Amino acid sequence: MSSDKDKFSFYRKLTKEIDIWLRENLITSDQKENILNRYASLKEADEKAGPGKLITTISVLGALLVGIGVILFVASNWSEIPRWEKLFIIFSSMLFSYGLGFYLCYEKQNFPKVGSSLILLGALIFGAGIFLIAQIYHISVHYPNGPLMWGLAVLPLAYVLRMKTLLTLAIIDILIWLGMESSYWLHASAFGSIMPFVMLYFMAGIALWSTGIMHKGFRHLKEISGPYVVTGALIAMSAGYVLTFDVFYSKLGSDTLFIFYSGAAALFTVSFIFNLFAKDRDKAWLPETVFLLIIMTAVFFLTVLYVPEKTAYSGFRYGQPHSMITICSNIVFALWIIGMIYLGYVRRYTAYINIGLLFFILDVFARYFDVFWRLLPRSLFFIIGGLMLILGSVVLEKKRRRILASFKIKEAD
Amino acid sequence: MRFKFIVFVLLQALLLIGIIAYRDHWVSTGERIILKTVPVDPRDIFRGDYVRLDYEITNLDLDKLSFKEKFSVNEKIFVKLLKSDDSTYRPVSVSKEIPSEGTFIQGRVRYYMPVALRWEISLKDDTGNIHTLIPRWNPNIKKGERLTFCLGRMNTIQNYYKDDAQYKPQCSTKTLAGIIEDTKEFKLRQAVVEYGIESYFVEEGQGRKIETARNAQELRVEVSLRKDGKGIITGLILDGNLLLR
Repeated sequence: MSSDKDKFSFYRKLTKEIDIWLRENLITSDQKENILNRYASLKEADEKAGPGKLITTISVLGALLVGIGVILFVASNWSEIPRWEKLFIIFSSMLFSYGLGFYLCYEKQNFPKVGSSLILLGALIFGAGIFLIAQIYHISVHYPNGPLMWGLAVLPLAYVLRMKTLLTLAIIDILIWLGMESSYWLHASAFGSIMPFVMLYFMAGIALWSTGIMHKGFRHLKEISGPYVVTGALIAMSAGYVLTFDVFYSKLGSDTLFIFYSGAAALFTVSFIFNLFAKDRDKAWLPETVFLLIIMTAVFFLTVLYVPEKTAYSGFRYGQPHSMITICSNIVFALWIIGMIYLGYVRRYTAYINIGLLFFILDVFARYFDVFWRLLPRSLFFIIGGLMLILGSVVLEKKRRRILASFKIKEAD
Repeated sequence: MRFKFIVFVLLQALLLIGIIAYRDHWVSTGERIILKTVPVDPRDIFRGDYVRLDYEITNLDLDKLSFKEKFSVNEKIFVKLLKSDDSTYRPVSVSKEIPSEGTFIQGRVRYYMPVALRWEISLKDDTGNIHTLIPRWNPNIKKGERLTFCLGRMNTIQNYYKDDAQYKPQCSTKTLAGIIEDTKEFKLRQAVVEYGIESYFVEEGQGRKIETARNAQELRVEVSLRKDGKGIITGLILDGNLLLR
């Protein structure tokens, strides 16, 4: 699988590189033809095979559709199917899907992408099974143990097979459990306030992110670090984005959820300690890890200790002066976005760049329409921000030119 | 890898079988009791392919049950039950600790309201009989007004209108017209309790039918109680007929 990918990317690089060799008179045009002809079959295969990612996407979507179909089939024929037959459908389709998937992906190895999608389908049917059994026994709609069991049972499978889709499913299940369980605890004590949950997900996101970095640090886990980092970064930045709005007029956390906050902080601490002992390290891992530590600490203390000043909220208050804390959170978030994009370029990791750009756009959009900033010199804010970015890019371009120049000197030598 | 894969897939299957075996054991060994349901606010009906069930023991009047302590949200509560003449079980007392004897059900407090309000309306119909009606929200009704009520089970008010009103809602249940004799407001200490038996899953499209029946007729639920008082639904009884099991 990956060897094919390597061959194709080698061929693409070769075609670019070979023109340079020709220009530098390293080879003649005949030699160029000969070399390219040697790889003619690879060229044909690359052109005809189509992108592998497309196949993965299509087969994953297929797995999702079949999974939903199975759930709907059982749900809509509820009274016609006897209980044991319902269970038989679930068990047989789950085991068949897992078995066939494993066979195609790892035994025969002729359909690895379709095979891994079938394994994902097996995991989806397993989850459907949990909820159908819950329905058979009329276990309440509020059933947070369902997603938890689902996630925890899929997690080891994701590690055994090193499958990112399974890991993503397990993470999403556990995040759903977190929301359901915590909202069960907080049901009545905090009407209408979503901030305790935002803070909880903020911490959970940072903890996931840090867990992902920990996975990157160990060679045998590196392969499946992606889902942790991406889901963690997305959730943490979404929560951070909420904090750039005017939310500091009331308490942010809830005492009822303290145990959940501590859990997220504990997971973060464990992964942080492991990070310190990691062998493999990305470029600029230290600033990233330290930044996460600072954010986690700040969020934890804001959640647990922050008490707004009494004067901070006075009903309807368009254009009232901003509290320092909102301004600080905006500055931190802006730096965070720039840091994300920077790290993405340094490591050639497109996910970071995309996430950074997404929140850059969202942030600019929100600040432009933010009514609370009316009386602040909004235009000044944008101009200063823009000028800083332009100045930053001047510095970067200078640096880039210096690096390229030094390369040329080395090449000339 | 194949061995590990098979082990973890089998563990998943075992987990499913485990849930089934556990619940089945509970159903077959628990103490069977029958509970009365009460109508659910019609704004909240049918939210999917399940029936939402509220019971007499869902909203507990703590003063009436002579329980003096406070409850916090999510706290365990044990409700002692006694079989009444119509063979359903009624609450007689509540406690925070597991009772040593008798029939009881375990739940968790969803809301605790130190001051909850309840209302009663006395209505004199055209033949001069007095009826007591129960509104489920603040009725905003004055003495001496003539009104027509749509009534659900146990004289709960579903809707009402003045005779000269421009818009008259259609009643799916019985109606009663008359003059308001009196309105009363009661203050009580209330605990809203969840027992894990609030949903009954049915085939798609069946939910609404049963919910309508629930609000108009006598719907009882058969529950199997574990030793620690946790309940699981084993059947639905509508007007004396076993509807679903």
